Amino acid sequence: MDGARMWHVFAGGNDFQWCFSQVKGAIDEDVAEADIISTVEFNYSGELLATGDKGGRVVIFQHEQESKNRPHLRGEYNVYSTFQSHEPEFDYLKSLEIEEKINKIRWLPQQNAAHFLLSTNDKTIKLWKISERDKRAEGYNLKDEDGRLRDPFRITSLRVPVLMPMDLMVEASPRRIFANAHTYHINSISVNSDHETYLSADDLRINLWHLEITDRSFNIVDIKPANMEELTEVITAAECHPHQCNVFVYSSSKGTIRLCDMRAAALCDRHSKFFEEPEDPSSRSFFSEIISSISDVKFSHSGRYMMTRDYLSVKVWDLNMENRPVETYQVHEYLRSKLCSLYENDCIFDKFECCWNGSDSAIMTGSYNNFFRMFDRNTRRDITLEASRESSKPRATLKPRKVSTGGKRKKDEISVDSLDFNKKILHTAWHPKDNVIAVAATNNLYIFQDKIN
Amino acid sequence: CQEMGFFLRHFIESEWEPLHVCSAAAAVVLGLCLEKLQHYQAGVELSLRRSVLLINTLRQIQEDMQSDGMGTCTSEVLLNSSHADSCILRDDVREDMVVTCPGCAEGDGDTLSPPLSPEFPSQEANSSSEQQKSLPAATINAFSDAVNAMGYLSDLALDDIFEDIDTSMYETSDLPSAWAAGSLWPVSSCLMDMNELDHIMEILVNCRGFGVTQAVRSDSG
Repeated sequence: MDGARMWHVFAGGNDFQWCFSQVKGAIDEDVAEADIISTVEFNYSGELLATGDKGGRVVIFQHEQESKNRPHLRGEYNVYSTFQSHEPEFDYLKSLEIEEKINKIRWLPQQNAAHFLLSTNDKTIKLWKISERDKRAEGYNLKDEDGRLRDPFRITSLRVPVLMPMDLMVEASPRRIFANAHTYHINSISVNSDHETYLSADDLRINLWHLEITDRSFNIVDIKPANMEELTEVITAAECHPHQCNVFVYSSSKGTIRLCDMRAAALCDRHSKFFEEPEDPSSRSFFSEIISSISDVKFSHSGRYMMTRDYLSVKVWDLNMENRPVETYQVHEYLRSKLCSLYENDCIFDKFECCWNGSDSAIMTGSYNNFFRMFDRNTRRDITLEASRESSKPRATLKPRKVSTGGKRKKDEISVDSLDFNKKILHTAWHPKDNVIAVAATNNLYIFQDKIN
Repeated sequence: CQEMGFFLRHFIESEWEPLHVCSAAAAVVLGLCLEKLQHYQAGVELSLRRSVLLINTLRQIQEDMQSDGMGTCTSEVLLNSSHADSCILRDDVREDMVVTCPGCAEGDGDTLSPPLSPEFPSQEANSSSEQQKSLPAATINAFSDAVNAMGYLSDLALDDIFEDIDTSMYETSDLPSAWAAGSLWPVSSCLMDMNELDHIMEILVNCRGFGVTQAVRSDSG
């Protein structure tokens, strides 16, 4: 797409709008737990879009090729491959179920015709190869077409097998299984820019793996205290720098981010940089720590900035400035007065993720009531949109939503009390090169695109 | 346990002056904390992130309650944490409060440590000999109960399970102390760093499956 438009997601007043493209998943009101989407990720080209769910399945969608007759297919994706990535397991020692839920999916940069991705549940990371097959060999000498051995007496001449075309088949095969390295729950995986290694983080440790080696990994961060009773902080997310393969960051439940340089030491117990914003004493409450816990951290594509999501806000940090973020955006500040209820119903522990657009000029993150928010970094404009079936007519423009914050509720506004906290958008993804976004709303995946006027 | 309920109700129903309001909010949050910890005790593997945040919140309330006594806790804390419409004024929560404390489930009406971890020294209880003077005894009990609730695996008789297995070679340096101290976190000290043991267990279970499970049962029984 043209780069200029990419830079101005909100520019030009109302001439830029988002419109509905597709919705995937059942319409049924009764949602099976296993169908709830738990992660969404575009590959590097944006041609493929992967989702993982609580049932351990991975569904990959492929971008529909545009044609001159149908130029509006930018945001249309069709199922490419579906496979069971993880199965439920049982930890006999702890007498605990290991859920099959896919916590994260990360694509590897494409290097040949096949695609590779990493998927992880709480304990085990798997490397999957997704490849196409549209030909099969026929005319073997010793076996017939069904694979049975031929009667040797009937083989009277040698023949050369030939490749015959067949219906396209997409195969997903597990290539590597990285197990037994995490005692706690894996919350992040991140492929390094060297394309050879990746890191995996759980609540207390971060391990570095080589993609080819499954029987060992290097522990690069370990915050487990000798006495677990002294534990006051856990790792909530971690990511490799997009360009410098020696640099990674991890966020904590205390709202801080540590940047580590693997060149400094094998075990990065000492951080190189420590990002923390001083707490505003006027907004201190019992829930201060819970809401400052960082649920996601993402480097910008440029590698200059990183973005963190806490319960109420999203912050953009310049890697060169540790004492405060350069930008702070309120996601749903109106919930501050509801924290006690959100604590009571456990929503306060929800882990919202966040993502950058392809040019780092805009960011997106989710909220409740199937609302999601976008912030334009240049104009500081923000918009609230809703993923709902009501507005899911083809190419229908999404109407901006507004939540009334105290005082009198205006027309078209939604009051805070009528927000549905069971409908939450935790996972979103932005196409790396186009204004196409994927938004996971419970068991449905919505795809939206910008409207060209 | 009844003491605990009384303690919470006392705070909620006492006069709504700023200082007390603060305490009431603290009591509500405290009650919910305990309820959540109690809930997780029922065999659900709780997320470490959640339990750390809950325990830190408990600790903060503990600090706030102490400073409350010295008059530094103001109604602003409440206003920031829970608006007028929040749950602290709701009747159903008050009812909940009374049944939230750990120990109720066992029906022993006793706020002492659960049977299988009698020597368990919670950090709160240990570090709070001075606090015990300034805080109602029920509060201290509530904290140690909560901490005990977190360590529900600590009452698993591991020694029984591994009676026939020499586990000494699998013990890492932090294990003995962790076992002796009991565990703050359900899936923590006592079972951590035992990937090797996991692996052996996996082999045993895979090879003999049912048989091992039976043996473990009869051993521990």
